Amino acid sequence: MNLNDYLAVSGLLFAIGFAGVMLRRNIIIIFMCLELMLNAANLSLVAFSRFHVSAAGLPDYNGQMLVFFIITVAAAEVAVGLAVIVSLYRARRTTHVEDITSMKF
Amino acid sequence: MMPAIYLEAIVLTLGVLLVLMEAFSNSEEKTPVAWLGIVGLTFVFILTFFTANDLSASPYSAFYHADFRAIFFKRFALLTTIVVLVLSIEYRGVVQKYVFGSRPQAGLGEFYALPVFTCAGLMWMASAVDFIMIFVSLELVTISFYILVAYMRRNAGSLEAGVKYLILSALSTGFFVYGITWIYGVTGQTSLEKIGAILLGLKVSHGPLLFGFMLVLTGLGFKIACAPFQIWVPDVYQGAPTPVTAFLSVGSKAAGFIVLMRVAEVFLPVPWINHKAVTILVALAALSLLYGNLAAMPQHNLKRLMAYSSIAHAGYILIAVACIGSRYANIAVSFYLAGYLLMTLLTFLVMAAVANQAGGDDIVHFNGLGKRSPYLAFAMLAAMASLAGIPLTVGFFGKFLIFYVAYEKGQFLLMGIGVLTVAAGFYYYFKVVRAMYWKEPADDTPVRTSPLTGATIAALAFCIFFLGVYPAPVIRALEGPPSDNPRLLAR
Repeated sequence: MNLNDYLAVSGLLFAIGFAGVMLRRNIIIIFMCLELMLNAANLSLVAFSRFHVSAAGLPDYNGQMLVFFIITVAAAEVAVGLAVIVSLYRARRTTHVEDITSMKF
Repeated sequence: MMPAIYLEAIVLTLGVLLVLMEAFSNSEEKTPVAWLGIVGLTFVFILTFFTANDLSASPYSAFYHADFRAIFFKRFALLTTIVVLVLSIEYRGVVQKYVFGSRPQAGLGEFYALPVFTCAGLMWMASAVDFIMIFVSLELVTISFYILVAYMRRNAGSLEAGVKYLILSALSTGFFVYGITWIYGVTGQTSLEKIGAILLGLKVSHGPLLFGFMLVLTGLGFKIACAPFQIWVPDVYQGAPTPVTAFLSVGSKAAGFIVLMRVAEVFLPVPWINHKAVTILVALAALSLLYGNLAAMPQHNLKRLMAYSSIAHAGYILIAVACIGSRYANIAVSFYLAGYLLMTLLTFLVMAAVANQAGGDDIVHFNGLGKRSPYLAFAMLAAMASLAGIPLTVGFFGKFLIFYVAYEKGQFLLMGIGVLTVAAGFYYYFKVVRAMYWKEPADDTPVRTSPLTGATIAALAFCIFFLGVYPAPVIRALEGPPSDNPRLLAR
């Protein structure tokens, strides 16, 4: 396994996530795909960090620090995001993007 | 002299205090929470004049800079939040209507406390010079905004705006983070300063780095609301509670721009990135100018009109960002944002007062305001004139600086588009003026405002004219002591 394999998987995850956000119509699924994009970033960060070996033979920990922050932020985002989606469902009885178009030009 | 890093700590403590006060006080009345917030933030604003600008002394200098620009934007964030809290007090009736609780004012306390946390995030962003720090403070701001935009949870418009903002903002975060990943992968650094040093050396692979830079640019494009990343703007601005719309259009945009400036200042000096990046920035600026100004013309809801105007103003500021390297690019961006703060917040304050009485924020509701309450109408006239860029207002001087910078860098195409779109701007801003002075009012009752709102409106209107005639104080705050920098005004 070299760096490129990890990057390919991460790129694939990012592409799947992005395609999901663009194509799917259910807000919950869209939200899952958004998390997938963040995890793609996490994977490539860890891979970069692992292959940036310093002179002392240690990986470069800057990238792994960022991963911890991304995980924390993603958790906060899910907490708030799901709450918003739940209150939308209570008000409108739907989680489909086609149904929430009351504001238009 | 106090280290600048204490400022955010104080703001955060204030936020926690407000939440505790709302949770443990027995009083039904929640307005004191907002009052305490306003007083506390004003205190921090005064403290900013007694902070040290020393860079080298701080142990945090690897990720936190307290230079003149950072202090300027911290004051900017504080002022914005203070006015937003004033606006929230004015707007509390509407929020109350759409948030049900066991008591009449349940849920209002958090509405006053959350902007303070957002303010701490904005202040951190002003100082962040490391991608990790930038990311975390950006998310602190964004996640607070998720809650604020969807705050009126029994109002379909607010919820819809909240979901749209949530999805598109999270998408932009995804792009931003993935961009950071690639920049980190190529350079092995997250600190902007070190990345800059590595980029000027020759041994980096071009493709992946450009890819990362473009993704970061996309992520920031969402935050500053420039075309073609503007799709969320009109709906979110219209649906969100008015104070939050004001906060989004000023605070979020300013924070996006300061991060964009810091990132661009690292990447643009690199010769092989420069012409590509400048081409993209020019394209973004031109698109935002054309789209924002043209789409604003047929609008009849003032909040939606302000959304398109916000896109257009992002275009004007991007002109100066594309000219980084010119001596005054920095000053032009910051000054324009300062003017934008005054005129936008003034517009939203008057709008909230009028909407309270009229029950809506369409332009029709402003009919005959000149007869009903001449004082409010005059304040709105000042804001509109400044947004359009009429001489003797702060908006004119901001646009003048931007066009001067573009002229210096030879961006004549952008100058041309800019001047043309200013003319388009006159049309839609004066629709509001026409409604106020030339149309007959539906009813003759004057619009009531609380003394606090009235005083804030007067102060903002005064600053618009004062800084339009005498912009030196703001420029001096941006330049630092005269010995360090070439003076703009001395020329």
